[in-house]
Amino acid sequence: MNKNQKIILIVGLLLIAVILIYWQTQGGDILTKTQVQVEKVDELFNTTYMEWEDKFVLGLDYAGTASAVIAVLSGILIFLFRNKKQEKQ
Amino acid sequence: MKKTLSLIAVLIFFSTSLFAQGFKVKASGDQTFNFADRGGRNQATFFSTTPLEDINGLTNDVKGTVTFNVSDLKTLKGKISVSVASIKTGIDLRDEHLRSEDWLNASANPEITFTIKNVSNLKVLEDNKLEAKVTGDITINGVTKEVTSDATLTFLDESEMTKSRAPGDLLGVQAKFKVRLSEFGVKNKIIGQKVAEIVEVGVNMVGSNAN
Repeated sequence: MNKNQKIILIVGLLLIAVILIYWQTQGGDILTKTQVQVEKVDELFNTTYMEWEDKFVLGLDYAGTASAVIAVLSGILIFLFRNKKQEKQ
Repeated sequence: MKKTLSLIAVLIFFSTSLFAQGFKVKASGDQTFNFADRGGRNQATFFSTTPLEDINGLTNDVKGTVTFNVSDLKTLKGKISVSVASIKTGIDLRDEHLRSEDWLNASANPEITFTIKNVSNLKVLEDNKLEAKVTGDITINGVTKEVTSDATLTFLDESEMTKSRAPGDLLGVQAKFKVRLSEFGVKNKIIGQKVAEIVEVGVNMVGSNAN
């Protein structure tokens, strides 16, 4: 593995790691959501109720797809940056 | 003879007190509460599970009216309805599926309704707060079945605090019950996921008796 291939491999792995860590910090949900429920307190009745709040929550569907795309692209780039001189020898 | 009559009178008094349970508030007589929601506070929720994750649905489009005698909650009658099209689960595609013919068929059955039939197991928590089992007919996907919900009702006399919410006395209702999807002709699959057969439903709303 030459220097360029190593860089691509490291960058690819780092990007996948960042995506998966971010996905986990978002709650590790399977499906991506655009709204989440937040609990509110009704002080008049001393009860709680839920409200929708606009928020993007990354799910494994998008995180997994993005990771797979990065893995495939990294693989293609590693193949393209292979040492052609060494192969000929 | 006098003793017997006195005993009967005492028994009648206590039996009336025991069986006619209601709120001890300023208001009296029959009261009608309208759950017209002006501030998006009223809500119906549902909770279900799939092998992948839990589903929490929520809508604020809940409306209806209830009428009862303040001193006897067993007289409670009324109807609550929820707009199917307004139910959200946090994922647009899943919401579309929820409204489809396989699920709640919003175009043919735009509303889920609950018609109160009777009230039992009344328990006084405070002068203005009662717990009860409310039985009624629920109509989902055009199919009507009887369900019993655990409900808590809170009566607030009109005050400066309540006026900020709505004019008149306020009635807060929290209720929960479970429904079996197959009983309502719902195919319990949503975007390929098998949804739990039993769904937990919750209602949390506030009504006013002001005209």
